Amino acid sequence: MSKVLLMAKLTWQEAWSRRLVLAILLLTVGFLGFYLLGVHFLDERLRSRAAELGRSDDLEGFLIARATVVTLGMYIVNFLGNLLAVLVSLSTISGEIDSGTLQSILPKPIRRYQVVLGKWLGFAVLVALFVTLISSGLLVGVQTLTGYLPPSPLEAVALMNLGAQLLLAVTILGGTLLSTLTNGVVLFTLYGLSFAGGIVGSIGQLFRVPLLETLNAVSIGILPSDAIWRGASYYLQPAELLNAFSEAGARGNPFVSTAPPDPIVLLWTGVYLLLALLLGVWVFNRRDL
Amino acid sequence: MLAIEASGLRKVYRGKAAVEHLSLEVAQGEVFGFLGPNGAGKTTTVKMLLGLARPTSGIARILGKPLGDLETKAKIGFLPELFRFHDWMTGKEFLRFHGRLYGMDRGDLERRIPQVLELVGLLGRENERIRGYSKGMQQRIGLAQAILNRPRLVFLDEPTSALDPIGRREVREIIRQLKEQGTTVFLNSHLLSEIELTCDRVAIVNKGQVVRSGTLGELLNARLEVEIRLDALSSELLTQLSAIGRLVRTVGPTVYLEVPAEETLPKIAEVVVRSGARLYALRPERVSLEDLFVQLVEGGAG
Repeated sequence: MSKVLLMAKLTWQEAWSRRLVLAILLLTVGFLGFYLLGVHFLDERLRSRAAELGRSDDLEGFLIARATVVTLGMYIVNFLGNLLAVLVSLSTISGEIDSGTLQSILPKPIRRYQVVLGKWLGFAVLVALFVTLISSGLLVGVQTLTGYLPPSPLEAVALMNLGAQLLLAVTILGGTLLSTLTNGVVLFTLYGLSFAGGIVGSIGQLFRVPLLETLNAVSIGILPSDAIWRGASYYLQPAELLNAFSEAGARGNPFVSTAPPDPIVLLWTGVYLLLALLLGVWVFNRRDL
Repeated sequence: MLAIEASGLRKVYRGKAAVEHLSLEVAQGEVFGFLGPNGAGKTTTVKMLLGLARPTSGIARILGKPLGDLETKAKIGFLPELFRFHDWMTGKEFLRFHGRLYGMDRGDLERRIPQVLELVGLLGRENERIRGYSKGMQQRIGLAQAILNRPRLVFLDEPTSALDPIGRREVREIIRQLKEQGTTVFLNSHLLSEIELTCDRVAIVNKGQVVRSGTLGELLNARLEVEIRLDALSSELLTQLSAIGRLVRTVGPTVYLEVPAEETLPKIAEVVVRSGARLYALRPERVSLEDLFVQLVEGGAG
């Protein structure tokens, strides 16, 4: 265990020393500042319109506007979390095989699985901190400015974390199998496929084309990233917004879902994540350096 | 117990054998030179012994234990040929990290770090980032991590490739000190002069196999070439000389003869004088390691 922690610590030291942590913090502050400024202007406008019309500002229309702003903001946050999970860990095994830094580590008394798990642990903590920090920053910021908080913020943040952790595990597996460049290309393609699968599925629902929904199920099997986000988005929307979407026949929404996450998808994600890590350990164990 | 014991090691990469039935024995406390041309399988062999690559077949033991034994790994050191380290670390952070990897305790590590820094000539530079080090300094810090744990066996793969002549001399001195402390040194090199200066025993590898091994004395004394310069060379004398050693060639009245030992020299003089020829020179020449190397590698001798 101490060797796993030693490798995790190495990951943090590197992130700190390469100013990755600093960059992440600054960008988080920058993004939140930018988005919250927009939220502030929007809300100011809504309030002044309400005052002009002599109405109070707790109308359903207000709620829907605020909820939409939060949900779309979280959509971007989710994307940033996924992006970060892939980018920080993209070169971790393959890059170190190429550069040769592992050649002075592996002959020492450490098992290869400890190297993989240590690196995974290091990045997992970084990714979790980032996703939690930026998503709760957005939620708390919007609540402070407008008083609105989504109905189940904890569930949403937890699911967004799960999505980012899934991509992290898959990226680490890719690093044991592929070169850094190929790994990046494969991951973004899979991510794109997952996103496309979600869109195709929602169109299938809208026009009642079962074949399209099957395609979506296949894409979830390949990588359930988009399905997890859709699950998280359900927890971010108040009943009024969910109803508004369903009434408008907007089940074919490419960004959000009006249904809670499917337990089977959640289970598959957990299994997928675990399998990716185990397979990564297995592949790295057998690799010649 | 031997420091290294390998038998029938074989490594096939994509159908092509990099190491072919390689057997090797290195005793404890000796400085062992492992030499061969580029692509002979030296680095692959070292990688197999260190657990970086799995042998396709064959077995090997390090310090009496099978490959991959964690306790044994704590007792070995390795300087890779392509020494690339986490260059965002300072020299000291780097040594601390590798010391923890060896499982050294904190107190011991803090005492040991200044010692190795001094040994490799980097004392005073340990708080700079490795990224800012010159190539030679990077090789020195690599050597420092290889001997940090006071290893019983240390693998040095081309340890002086980035060093200037003074640096090379310093590394020879470090190897000498390691030997004094009873450390076994496995030196991978194609710098033959360096091998001649530092090694007790050598193995020459070619095409993935050991083609010759032994002490330097055994390898080099086995072949002694004598130049015999005469005023005239009769066929009768040539026949007599050929009986003493192997005739290499004649150039005019000068004969080059390969003889088994120095003891044959007086006999050659005697034969020449008795035949009535006049002897202008009788010069024994040791075969250099380089000659032997070239002969074995180019001749493909087995």
